[in-house]
Amino acid sequence: MPSAQPSAPTPAPAVGRRRVLNWLLGTWSAGVFGSIAFPVLRYLVPPVIPEAPTLSVTAGAASTLAPNNARIVPFGSTPAIVVRTPTGELRAFEGTCTHLACTVQYRPDLEHIWCACHNGHYDLNGKNIAGPPPRPLTAYDANVQGDEIVISRRA
Amino acid sequence: MKRGALIVPGLLVLGVLAASIAVRAHARQPDSPAQPPAVPAPPARSTPDQAAAAFKDDVHAKAGLGCESCHGQKTSGGSYAPVARTAIAPMCATCHADASVMRKFAPQVRIDQYAQYQTSVHGRQMAKGDTRVATCSDCHHSHGIVQVRDTRSPVAPAHVAGTCAACHTDAARMSPFNRSPDVFSDWSKSVHADALLKRGDRSAPTCNTCHGSHGATPPGIDAVANVCAQCHVREAELFKASKKAAVFAEMGQSDCLTCHSNHHIVAPDQTWISLEGEAICATCHDETTPGALVIRSVRKGFDDLQQRMRDAEGVLSRAETAGMLIEDGKLAMHDATEAHVRMRVLVHAFASPPFDEVLEEGLAAADKSRAVGDDAMDELQYRRRGLAVATLLILGFLATLFVKIRQLPPS
Amino acid sequence: MREWLAHRVPLDEVEAAIQHKRVPRHRYSVWYYLGGMTLFFFIVQVVTGILLLLYYRPSAEEAYDSVQFIMTRVPFGWLVRSIHSWSANLMVGAAFVHLFSVLFLKAYRRPREITWISGVLLLFVILAFGFTGYLLPWNEVAFFATRVGTDMAGAVPVVGETTVRFLRGGAEVTGATLTRFYGVHVAVLPAITTVLLGLHLLLVQYHGMSVPPSIEARAKTDGRPVPTMPFVPHFALRDLFGWTVALAMLAGLSAYLPWELGHKADPFAPAPAGIHPEWYFLWTFQALKYVPGQVLGLEGELVAIIVMSLGAGALVFLPFIDRNTPRSRAVITWAAAAALVFMVVMTALAFTGDPS
Repeated sequence: MPSAQPSAPTPAPAVGRRRVLNWLLGTWSAGVFGSIAFPVLRYLVPPVIPEAPTLSVTAGAASTLAPNNARIVPFGSTPAIVVRTPTGELRAFEGTCTHLACTVQYRPDLEHIWCACHNGHYDLNGKNIAGPPPRPLTAYDANVQGDEIVISRRA
Repeated sequence: MKRGALIVPGLLVLGVLAASIAVRAHARQPDSPAQPPAVPAPPARSTPDQAAAAFKDDVHAKAGLGCESCHGQKTSGGSYAPVARTAIAPMCATCHADASVMRKFAPQVRIDQYAQYQTSVHGRQMAKGDTRVATCSDCHHSHGIVQVRDTRSPVAPAHVAGTCAACHTDAARMSPFNRSPDVFSDWSKSVHADALLKRGDRSAPTCNTCHGSHGATPPGIDAVANVCAQCHVREAELFKASKKAAVFAEMGQSDCLTCHSNHHIVAPDQTWISLEGEAICATCHDETTPGALVIRSVRKGFDDLQQRMRDAEGVLSRAETAGMLIEDGKLAMHDATEAHVRMRVLVHAFASPPFDEVLEEGLAAADKSRAVGDDAMDELQYRRRGLAVATLLILGFLATLFVKIRQLPPS
Repeated sequence: MREWLAHRVPLDEVEAAIQHKRVPRHRYSVWYYLGGMTLFFFIVQVVTGILLLLYYRPSAEEAYDSVQFIMTRVPFGWLVRSIHSWSANLMVGAAFVHLFSVLFLKAYRRPREITWISGVLLLFVILAFGFTGYLLPWNEVAFFATRVGTDMAGAVPVVGETTVRFLRGGAEVTGATLTRFYGVHVAVLPAITTVLLGLHLLLVQYHGMSVPPSIEARAKTDGRPVPTMPFVPHFALRDLFGWTVALAMLAGLSAYLPWELGHKADPFAPAPAGIHPEWYFLWTFQALKYVPGQVLGLEGELVAIIVMSLGAGALVFLPFIDRNTPRSRAVITWAAAAALVFMVVMTALAFTGDPS
């Protein structure tokens, strides 16, 4: 670090210079402090989606899911299918067919889950009952909080 | 910790994306004819020793049957007489067509195999005394018969085609019946053979899936569509409801075969959809025919979607390599790929409305994916600009501090 | 307001002490800044660590996803996490430079023995911070590096297995290990650091900055005392300068070389090729590779552990080993230089060698 220069005697200009310097220093340090404080304060405010959607997601209103009906929702990076059985029970499964990974759908006429790609059929327990699929669909837990359906998978 | 180290995860993501698109688009061109695993062929005539050795594994042996059950008593020479070829099927049928017998061993097994066989080309020829055609033992073998689901069986799903090929690739055998000997090699180059033999997907169609096992007969030009429809339900539904169904019926043309072939079924490609050159549509259509506009529009739809998906992928992978995480982009890409699959199915409607709807969805998903990538790159720029601002402030502070230090009185 | 406070806490005494504090000015003064630099990085770690605490989840199922969440969805989460990771590494680097500068400048001599001992213990604590913190994102690299690292403890006879179980919270590296490392990283080690750092800083204030022997000798022969500068404002402003440069570096590194997340750990997957610990452990990692399987009838790993323990012990008790004669000091200098060269060469070999 360079050593200090001998200072001038303290007439007005030097004092003024020093005051300007201190003011500059104060302003810049306020700027530096601001550039630290701004990210920290923004960080402290939680984001709109408070939780990573990989262990559980909301799946819409329970009241709008009628019996013998289903809906597809994203769960992490893959789809999930939430089914209201004809008897009114709520079930949820992974939404990708175990044959070649197409997204499955619900068939109200057949009252079970169907894959359009190669005519694969799954019953309402997720079991593969006809067509090419080699394995059942993984089941998720489906619960209702208030009027919101929440589906979750065990880690 | 090095930026370069992000290239590997980025490439991995790209690889996974590419692989999943390939799977979805069924764009699996087999690179070489799939060879079925070797099934040892039975010797033309087994010696008694060979037969006895093979019989140890036989299901009939486990059921308590012996040599006499099929061969009858030993001859005066001390050996068993071979069963005449024309007599084999009726002999097997004495048990296998009798419910009261089969019930004792395997109540769920079917008993109509002989009845089916008699309707088949093999059965009808054999009934006329022509021994050149197949009978029970040609496919099931004679002494080491195991259940179909046993992987050693010559009629296990993976082996059926090879068993049929034993005769059906022999030009000398096939020419008297006017049958092509190329069928097996055609099928071997198909996506179905690839699925069955390379991926081990036992649901993939082999010879008996479309032709029947015992009532083996080609489906017939007007019936082949029903066979394909067993798995390709949506395509069949759409086709039947489309204008083409009536046109093809009038022309006497087979529904699926005309474009997709029956044995050499390869992964369809959007280059088929064009009015020029070698394109499949161009075999019948040109600019003047009705449907020309639809063809052009559908092709353009595919090209557009492919272009936009490629662009999106490019941006996403650049963003990922730069250290940004783009989960939402991958999700949207997943949706775009789904839409692409559905578009391929909707080609069979041969009309714009249903196809265009899904095209819109696909383009929207591709655009969303692209937007996520663009946002990530923008965010990267925003971060660097923010850094530049912060650095400027810090530099200003440092410069002022430096001056301050220099003008401090001596220590 | 200030009057009110001054009556209740020893504000005046502290202010007087700070005003009186002076720092020697000589050829090697620049090395005085390194302790403060290490402290700066530590403060950054505490602040960013507390911020990360607000969103991080210490379970095997959620850890990775929570770090990803911080990096993608929390505003400036990417910055906080990258700074935390970079500052950790820079802190270790600064600590080692500080250690070697004190070693070469003989600042551990009487009466600063306890300062030295607390400092060496602080170094071990910093390495423990690094080792425990590395596992917390629960990614592939961290999982396997932890497994390899904790395996080493098993080579110690008699207590080896128990030590491994204690470290891992079980026989294998599992979620239990993660929770244990988390507790150590955010509670146990900070508590220990508070005590050790407090002692270390207090003693530095009490004894003032040490002057290297050569400078002392020169001052004696010249008959002039070693020139000094006031701590406030001369040294303090220069310190602040250094700290601000370090801050700018951290921000730059985070924006241009963001810390990667890697893949989620899968305990059942085979270890990927080229697993290695963080750079500050690389020299031990590489040195271990050269130890033969058996040495004098003992297992190679055990011998390595014994040697390392002896080295650590020598480091801790160095002030008592050095007789403070010119000859003794020269030996220490050469030994320190040799150790430094050894560590640098081993680290370089680890980077350039093939992964197997």
